[in-house]
Amino acid sequence: MIQMFHVYKAYPGDPPALSDVNLHVRKGEFLFLTGPSGAGKTTLLKLVFCAERATSGQILVGGRNVARIRESGIPYLRRNIGVVFQDFKLLPRRTVADNVAFTLDVLGVPREEARGRVMAMLKRVGLEHKADSFPLKLSGGEQQRVVIARALVNDPAILLADEPTGNLDPALTIEIMDLLSDVNVRGTTVVVATHDASLIARYHKRTVQLERGKVVADQDGVKAARKMASGE
Amino acid sequence: MSVVAKATYFFRTALHGMWHAPFVHVIAVATIAIAVFSFGLAYGAARWVEALLSSIGGEVQMTVYLAQDTPPEQAEELARALASRAGGGARVVPKEEALRRLSSELGGLGGALEALPVNPLPQSIEVELPAGRRQVGEVRELAEKVRALPMVAAVDYGEEALARLEAVARLLRFGGLAGFAVVVLTTVVIVSATLQLAIYARREEVEIQKLVGATDRFVRVPFLIEGLLQGLLGSALALLGLWLLSWAVGSELAEAFAFLAPAERVLLIDPRRAGELLAVGCGLGLLGSLVAVRRFLRS
Repeated sequence: MIQMFHVYKAYPGDPPALSDVNLHVRKGEFLFLTGPSGAGKTTLLKLVFCAERATSGQILVGGRNVARIRESGIPYLRRNIGVVFQDFKLLPRRTVADNVAFTLDVLGVPREEARGRVMAMLKRVGLEHKADSFPLKLSGGEQQRVVIARALVNDPAILLADEPTGNLDPALTIEIMDLLSDVNVRGTTVVVATHDASLIARYHKRTVQLERGKVVADQDGVKAARKMASGE
Repeated sequence: MSVVAKATYFFRTALHGMWHAPFVHVIAVATIAIAVFSFGLAYGAARWVEALLSSIGGEVQMTVYLAQDTPPEQAEELARALASRAGGGARVVPKEEALRRLSSELGGLGGALEALPVNPLPQSIEVELPAGRRQVGEVRELAEKVRALPMVAAVDYGEEALARLEAVARLLRFGGLAGFAVVVLTTVVIVSATLQLAIYARREEVEIQKLVGATDRFVRVPFLIEGLLQGLLGSALALLGLWLLSWAVGSELAEAFAFLAPAERVLLIDPRRAGELLAVGCGLGLLGSLVAVRRFLRS
């Protein structure tokens, strides 16, 4: 589903954010992307949904080479990728339902149909009773669930989550991660960037470790969980 | 994909944007209103001046003085030829009538003319020029051709007055165009600056739109609708202002200048002109928003 071949990303005056990254994420897979702050996790995700362009190398997303995609083609690529941000990026003056419907508005889905899909998605994330609330009235965990609902409401093939539990307490972290696991079970390819070792130890998923922009480890779930549990 | 759903969304978003940032939109609407009002005033004044010029132009005629020995029949024949060449009317003024006119113009002194042994005035032909043929160049060309004819002693067509009239009209047209360009430019700059503020206030929304797959066109359309609505509101206000002004002073102004131009309300807004001004207002709003949103998306 996502393939990277010798990908480099450099910003002028800084050491490379990504250096010779090769990666293959299969369809329906759940992948943790881990590493310390500044390792290049966010940059890698940004390259996948074209918020940034690679300096060199090839990136295939759903068979499409995003390194060569034209500016006008980016919106259509993004419609197949849901993104969950650490800082939520919710519109405070719009209701929860309107925030989730934002993705469907872009696709031109009629209002009644959109309302039905939004309510079904809010039910899935356990927030149907908060549809008419405003984001700032919700807890951090609830806000993150709204973001996940917004990312999934148009049924994308890929879900990218950048530190989705970074601002949450342990109980809410488990809640959000369970939700992402459930999304993956239903067939969506999920890539989660996190520096939280406890999540990797708990969920036993394939883990790619980045350090200073390089892939230093690519382990299956059991190995990665053992490694994290032993604190190596 | 539904066109109706998208159109509904665009209008909803535009109205939502205007509702949540009323101040910047009030500034934009007021700017457009002032621009359209000024344009309407200038347009009304220009039309009135044009009417004035054409009424003065109506006085323009060409007088062709004939040689002393020209027989009256030949004079009549020449008048017919001149009328058809000028595309207007032509009339022979016999020597006697010319003397009578001079005598009446001299008033009390007119009696002195009776002492003359012979009438020294030539017979002449007065040629009326139609409205479309009063340009200096055209009249001069006609005069030159007439002057070359046998029997013609001299031609007088008030060349200097005509040239001055033309210069005034040219200046007014040029001044009007320059003024219009300045007003348009200023308005577009102000409207686009205010709209940029509105867009900046919604940059987060635009950012999220783009992250969930919105095209630039999708982001642009609601802002263009906002510009269009601003233009509509601004020009509607301007029309109201012009109508109130026409109602208050239009007839008095027309009356005051009745000796120069036909008496009618000087600033009356007719439906056609109202439509033109609405189009100007909408164009200004649309252009301002187009500039603002393009600049924002480029940045």
